[in-house]
Amino acid sequence: MSYDDRANARPNLNDESDVEEEALVNDYREQVNFEDGMSELDRTTSLGGGSQTQDLQAQLAAAATPLEYQATLETKFASYDNYCSLFHYILNSEGPVDLEVPSYNWAWEVIDEFIYQFESFCRYRTRVARSGSNEEEAQLLRENPNTWGCYSVLNVLYSLIQRSQINEQLAAIKRGEDPMAFAGEYGSRPLYKMLGYFSIIGLLRVHCLLGDFSLALKTLDDIEMNKKAMFARVMAAHFTTYYYVGFSYMMMRRYADAIRMFSHILVYVSRTKNFQKGGNSYDAIAKKNDQMYALIAICVALHPTRLDDTIHSAVREKYGDQFYRMQRGGPEALPVFEELFRSACPKFISPTPPDFENPAFNVDPVDHHTAIFMDEVKNTLFNPTIRSYLKLYTTMDLKKLAGFLEVQPEQLRSWLLVNKQRSRQIRWVEGGLLDGEPVIANDLDYALENDLIHVSETKAGRRLVDWYLRNLARVY
Amino acid sequence: MVAFDKCETRPAHIDAILNGLDRYNPETTTVFQDYVVQQCEDRTFDCYANLALLKLYQFNPHLLQAETVTNVLAKALTVFPSPAFSLCLALLPAHTQPFPTTSEAQAASQTSDFVESVQKLARLSTLLESAQYAQFWSTLNSDDLYADLTADVAGFEELVRIRIAVEVGKAYRSISADSLEQWLDLRGREALDKFVSDVCGWKVDGAVVRVPTNKENEARSEVKSEHVGVEMFGRVIRRGFEQPA
Repeated sequence: MSYDDRANARPNLNDESDVEEEALVNDYREQVNFEDGMSELDRTTSLGGGSQTQDLQAQLAAAATPLEYQATLETKFASYDNYCSLFHYILNSEGPVDLEVPSYNWAWEVIDEFIYQFESFCRYRTRVARSGSNEEEAQLLRENPNTWGCYSVLNVLYSLIQRSQINEQLAAIKRGEDPMAFAGEYGSRPLYKMLGYFSIIGLLRVHCLLGDFSLALKTLDDIEMNKKAMFARVMAAHFTTYYYVGFSYMMMRRYADAIRMFSHILVYVSRTKNFQKGGNSYDAIAKKNDQMYALIAICVALHPTRLDDTIHSAVREKYGDQFYRMQRGGPEALPVFEELFRSACPKFISPTPPDFENPAFNVDPVDHHTAIFMDEVKNTLFNPTIRSYLKLYTTMDLKKLAGFLEVQPEQLRSWLLVNKQRSRQIRWVEGGLLDGEPVIANDLDYALENDLIHVSETKAGRRLVDWYLRNLARVY
Repeated sequence: MVAFDKCETRPAHIDAILNGLDRYNPETTTVFQDYVVQQCEDRTFDCYANLALLKLYQFNPHLLQAETVTNVLAKALTVFPSPAFSLCLALLPAHTQPFPTTSEAQAASQTSDFVESVQKLARLSTLLESAQYAQFWSTLNSDDLYADLTADVAGFEELVRIRIAVEVGKAYRSISADSLEQWLDLRGREALDKFVSDVCGWKVDGAVVRVPTNKENEARSEVKSEHVGVEMFGRVIRRGFEQPA
């Protein structure tokens, strides 16, 4: 039985039970606020038969529900304990837990919210340490260094992945075999399978937030990036996956691959926009959407490419002026790069408790990653200048060009080398996301014979198929 | 092209750790540290494994060995131009502020040797990544601390010199010997002659070094035509069947 069949066979909860659920959630959250972690754990494990399923439903619902924006530190601690006991129950009960998960959405939201709370907790903790103003909270955080610890978060995600044997199942699907043969006792159940699957996406995100971009991409080894993938069933998951994969590629300087990822999802969203409107995740998606347009603008500025027409006009519409300034390069472009990067990058976190004694020591991880990225931007800042001049000539004397640019010849030699180097990139062809082949990623190439620059250009022939198809669709 | 997560010179036991959950186990830190020592000695480089070590440090700051970190960074310098160095920096504690812009950040380097070392190596990385080779050498030779930082990496200068030569070979068909001498930090024509003919296989022709033609320094113009495949028309053809005119 394929995944589709089972997904369709399972009845979705109707609205009425949603209301019930809501009541359960609220009820449960009130309880949880007044209980500490240990008794929570006892309670869930000591529960018997019938009511257990209902209670678990409530816990799962609570786990998928965002905390209030102003949630207190106590609530955050309690929420952590809630997750711990829930995942402990799912993973460490005798045999698999018997529970039907109503939808893919639910499983996604549990994992998504779990990671979101981890991320916001880490950021909050750093903020408290840096400002040094709230001694009470600082003390509480100091005493609980392991709450929302990176090891426990990773432990949950890896355990869910292993229990469900989801990687084995996905590998089987890739080979064209029956995944159920590899699913095992746990993985054959939708609850485990879905939690396991979305935990992979969750890991991608956590690794990226911690600045481990290659491991982030490696995590997706068994997932095929296409519309048939399971993540594509949940819009938010689909979106998140492409955002983090694209971003990780960008940080590995694989701009062509990053652009491919961002374009893919942005085209998809632009086609399904009307359908998505009104959904409760619409705002979040709209924000990520804008962030990805910003990232694609950065990538195209660093690595000139022809974009899909829809994407190109949307980039110009949203970031017209910034896009133009980045593409022109030079020192004026620096603040634009930085501003867009900061607005569009993930909210990086530091996995370990901050140094409460030395507030100044706690540099915001976003500043750290921005500085690293900006170093590369600075190194390549004059590539557009070089390209725009060389486009005009087939041969050019280096000293003469240096005169035009009003720089020393030695400086120009460096720029030429840098531009040459950056026009070589690794691009994915097949296999895992980290695989790839080096390609010449620029129309413009050149070689130097002493101080004489020989310029060559790879011209693309006219691209007619796309034009033809679009017009055909319009009239036919 | 070898994928980023693979490395031809990686021993089997390291590969096993990297592909399992032991990569998070603090006890494997020493295994990775030994592996870094080995890479420094036998002039190999395994970025993916070194990142796993930096990740262990990220999760367990008390295990961090400053010297191992600087050795990893120094090794990453020897593979420029590549994202290796910045990927390593991304896993370091944010307070190292590799690219200090504020006076506060610069002050931090005076209070901690580790921070100062990271900032110094980052400076070298910037010079290499922006192809300012002559300045790279003068910076490297300007301070004894640089010598300390790269001392454990066997053949550091040689490895960097070869990388520079490779990059020059991709862009140049011929280059003045004077420029090349500065970029490779080879004093005297004899040293240069020896290096370019023995290591690179290039020819010295008076005051000019000639680089044989390779794929990169050819720079040939061509016209790329669009690839047209039947599958691109799949939708149109299907529609043709589904909606008979």
